[in-house]
Amino acid sequence: MAVVKLQNVTYKYPLTDTTALQNINLQVNEGEFVAIVGPNGAGKSTLCYTIAGFVPHFFKGELTGTVEVAGNESSKSNLHDWVLNVGLAFQNPFNQISGAKYTVYEEIAFGLENIGLPRDEMKERVGDVMTLTGISDLADRSPYSLSGGQQQRVALASILVMQPKVLVLDEPTSQMDPIGTREVFGVIRTMAEKGMTVILVEHKVEWIANFADRVIALYDGQILLEGKPQEVLTSDVLMDKGFGISRYTSVARKAKGLGLWTRDSLPVTLDEAVEGFKIG
Amino acid sequence: MHERLSFFVKRASLIHRLNPLTKVVLAISIVMIAFISPWYWTPQVLFLFGIIPLLLAGRVAREYWSFFAKVVLPTVVFLFVIQAVFLPGESRIIFQIWGLEVTELSLELAFRNATRIAVMISSFTILLLTTHPSQLMSDLTRRGLPGQFAYVIIASLQIIPQMQAKAQTIISAQRSRGLDTESNFFRRVGMFVPLVGPLVFGSLVEVEERAIAIEARGFTSTHAKTSLYEIPDPRAENIARWTLIGLVFITLAARIWLS
Repeated sequence: MAVVKLQNVTYKYPLTDTTALQNINLQVNEGEFVAIVGPNGAGKSTLCYTIAGFVPHFFKGELTGTVEVAGNESSKSNLHDWVLNVGLAFQNPFNQISGAKYTVYEEIAFGLENIGLPRDEMKERVGDVMTLTGISDLADRSPYSLSGGQQQRVALASILVMQPKVLVLDEPTSQMDPIGTREVFGVIRTMAEKGMTVILVEHKVEWIANFADRVIALYDGQILLEGKPQEVLTSDVLMDKGFGISRYTSVARKAKGLGLWTRDSLPVTLDEAVEGFKIG
Repeated sequence: MHERLSFFVKRASLIHRLNPLTKVVLAISIVMIAFISPWYWTPQVLFLFGIIPLLLAGRVAREYWSFFAKVVLPTVVFLFVIQAVFLPGESRIIFQIWGLEVTELSLELAFRNATRIAVMISSFTILLLTTHPSQLMSDLTRRGLPGQFAYVIIASLQIIPQMQAKAQTIISAQRSRGLDTESNFFRRVGMFVPLVGPLVFGSLVEVEERAIAIEARGFTSTHAKTSLYEIPDPRAENIARWTLIGLVFITLAARIWLS
């Protein structure tokens, strides 16, 4: 069943003439893990903001078409009610720290205080989400004293604790070192395995190929390609349009030209590449 | 990493356990009584029999005296000297220096004003040392203070040190490109331009992101907010608060009556 439904969505930011999104039609099923790829300026973040209700409630501008999550229409709802449907986390973990709280534990409870959850339930939820995201040992630390990876996990926990139906993540690991990236992806994978609907914007295509159910390639505010990760991420079109592609795909493509890659499909991940290059 | 801007010292003490509003009322009452009392010795008595016992009960004397030596004492001494020299007083001249007269009256007034200021700073210092800012704001929000207002206060306390750290990074970046930050005054004033630009514009971008982040967590929700911690407010404290407010009014009445 489709939990997210976008129909003919076109959007223009205020005071601009160019459309950031053009005639987007998109459905995401319950429990599905969808990855969005695209070069800079393709409209990935705008699409995230649109699903999360910040377009048009926060950014204003001109939005046409309909955005539905769990049967509710975004334009007919308030932003503060909408955030209970869709949770949004983005790149810079530092800017996602509220600044209103002194410990990680309080920081995660911030959203629950805002929506007026009773204290007992609040404590239970915060405890659960901290275990889930592996940050229970950081409970008494100041959110500002953490590493990037830890801060991003706190930001994720702060959104997950609201128990949204859909999780939208806009390049959550773009500013992380390899350790931070692994920590954050660990949490995302756990959520996906638990059956949460996840929409993830990400440049690390090898990771997407391993975990996403479907990939959407966005270009110039429009959906360029859509399909299984392997099909989309190895497409020639992506390479021509300047999308980030896997190094294994590039190597195999060159090898194919030299007659060293004999398979029809190109690899995205290391395992696929190793498998394809095996002799005999 | 810069320390966050908070004076709070975590201790188990009688004063720490008081409801934050009681401490705010206590601090303001002490200051008001010190300033409006018609009796000369009130600020001194308040300091000895109000501030000092509160420091001991709050177990923050060590932190307070260090702050006292660094900030309160220099401020108070400076005020005393300036007022002793410049306050007009038609009374016995005690001594003269560079044509300025220090009289008995000016000395008396300067001493009283200096202790008033000492009581004021001390009273608020005790409040800040024993009250966690987020507890104070949670309690005030529960009593009807708008959430946005509380947020601005708490967030400023936390974000200012982060801004300082960022300014330092920008200075280092500009220096590494040859910006002179150590020569004469005028050149250093000039250096503020390349510092302020990135700092202000960078912060504006951050403000938008932070606004999105807190909106995503229901900040503008119209539900009545709840608090993670229960902040006790026994009846006795309510009575104590009204008693303090009563004392302020009695002092005010005495002042009007005796003048």
